[in-house]
Amino acid sequence: MVSQSLMVPPSEILIRLAEIVPTDRFGQDVARTLTTILVSFTIGLVLGVPLGIFLWRVPAAGRILEPFIVTGYAMPTLLFYPVLLAVMGLNAGPIIVIAASMSLIPIALTTMVALNAIKPILHKLANSVSASPRQYYLKVLFPAATPLIFPGVKLGFIYAVIGTVAMEFILASQGVGFRAGFYYRELNTADMWAYIAVVIVLSVLVNGVLTWLEKRIRRDML
Amino acid sequence: MSQIFPIDTVGHDSDVVFDNIGMTFGTKTGVTQAVANVSGVIPEGKFVSVIGPSGCGKSTLLDMVGGLLKPTKGTVSINGETVTGPRRDTAMVFQEDSTLHWRTVLDNVAFGLEVKGVPKADRYESARRMIELVGLSGFEDHRPGQLSGGMKQRVAIARALAMEPRVLLMDEPFGALDQQTRQFIGRELLRIWEKTRNRVLFITHDIQEAVYLSDEVWVMSARPSVVKEVVTIDLPRPRPEGTHTLPRFRELEDHLWELVKVEAEKTLGPGARLA
Repeated sequence: MVSQSLMVPPSEILIRLAEIVPTDRFGQDVARTLTTILVSFTIGLVLGVPLGIFLWRVPAAGRILEPFIVTGYAMPTLLFYPVLLAVMGLNAGPIIVIAASMSLIPIALTTMVALNAIKPILHKLANSVSASPRQYYLKVLFPAATPLIFPGVKLGFIYAVIGTVAMEFILASQGVGFRAGFYYRELNTADMWAYIAVVIVLSVLVNGVLTWLEKRIRRDML
Repeated sequence: MSQIFPIDTVGHDSDVVFDNIGMTFGTKTGVTQAVANVSGVIPEGKFVSVIGPSGCGKSTLLDMVGGLLKPTKGTVSINGETVTGPRRDTAMVFQEDSTLHWRTVLDNVAFGLEVKGVPKADRYESARRMIELVGLSGFEDHRPGQLSGGMKQRVAIARALAMEPRVLLMDEPFGALDQQTRQFIGRELLRIWEKTRNRVLFITHDIQEAVYLSDEVWVMSARPSVVKEVVTIDLPRPRPEGTHTLPRFRELEDHLWELVKVEAEKTLGPGARLA
């Protein structure tokens, strides 16, 4: 038999879920978590793509910075969370910093790799028709690189989800990750599992949307 | 280096004029002189091919007309203006597939005009005309991934023609195609060109192709290259199927082959024998 403090019957989890989902607090938690994820991902995208372009345009900078970026990728950035909490306070700020920086790295790296992989003939073509820099980026570079950038963007989104939920789990005042962690520490196993189920459903939904988007973009691009 | 043939480098304003151009590259081992001295004129409505051994700077010559490379010596001028960068009145077709794989055939052909800022309705109209001209009607909405190599090159040719260039620059456009496709698309090019009569600068390795298509063939020497001889192709136009078997065709082909062989042997070393 599994201890009741580790696992409760799925039927009990479903009952708790049915009770939790209609509450206002649940709505607020989901809204908070989704907002944090979206803000983190948007920051990751808005900073990551230009960083990737910079690393591609200035190969020397790329060679110098790449090891640091890869290290940043490998490093458990969550260790800085307590420091950020102390500096920024108990709000979404520190979570966004961690989740955005986690999300930024795969986006920047794949952007650089994707731009490097563009056939030189396309640069020559753009040049030969006197494309302006704007036309060059919008009509040639981005469309050519998108199918390769997209997996990085998808990964960036997944990192934003992981970063957000994990930081909420450690310490926060709201959010589905926070609830799961809270009930974990309270030894309220049924509620903890109910929230874990919510996180799983959200992740699967988000992944489904991203996969669908990716397929659509690939179909248009290839 | 002496000039092989006399030219009037001032002459006709609308011509493409090479005025004593040279190209020197800095490399790891020092300085390489790719093109020593080339002068020449591509007159209105003429099809000029350039042949020569590998690495003799044929493509360099073409890139200089296209404004992608700046000669280190001399000038290239079009319409009396010195070429300083890519111009709107030149269009290029490359050996490699240069179609944009995310665009339909129609949008690929319209690409050059789109960059020029031609309104959508106008550029689609020109693009459709060119698609018909290159024999791709019915494929407007296909993507390059659904086309064969020869069809992709037709798309590239249509894109270049749609820009109505003063000079069409073709860098071994059929080099990556198989022999049959190559001969077929060569005939097609000639049929199209008879209608448009753009000036063409055509780079090729294929002597037969050069004779069949051109009004003039420029034979380049091995590096550092000069134009060794300009051979006028005095075969009548239009050139129907069977032109290849004319005695004059054979004569011109043999003559060019002799010229190229000497240069290729220089490049490949004295022991080299060409089959």
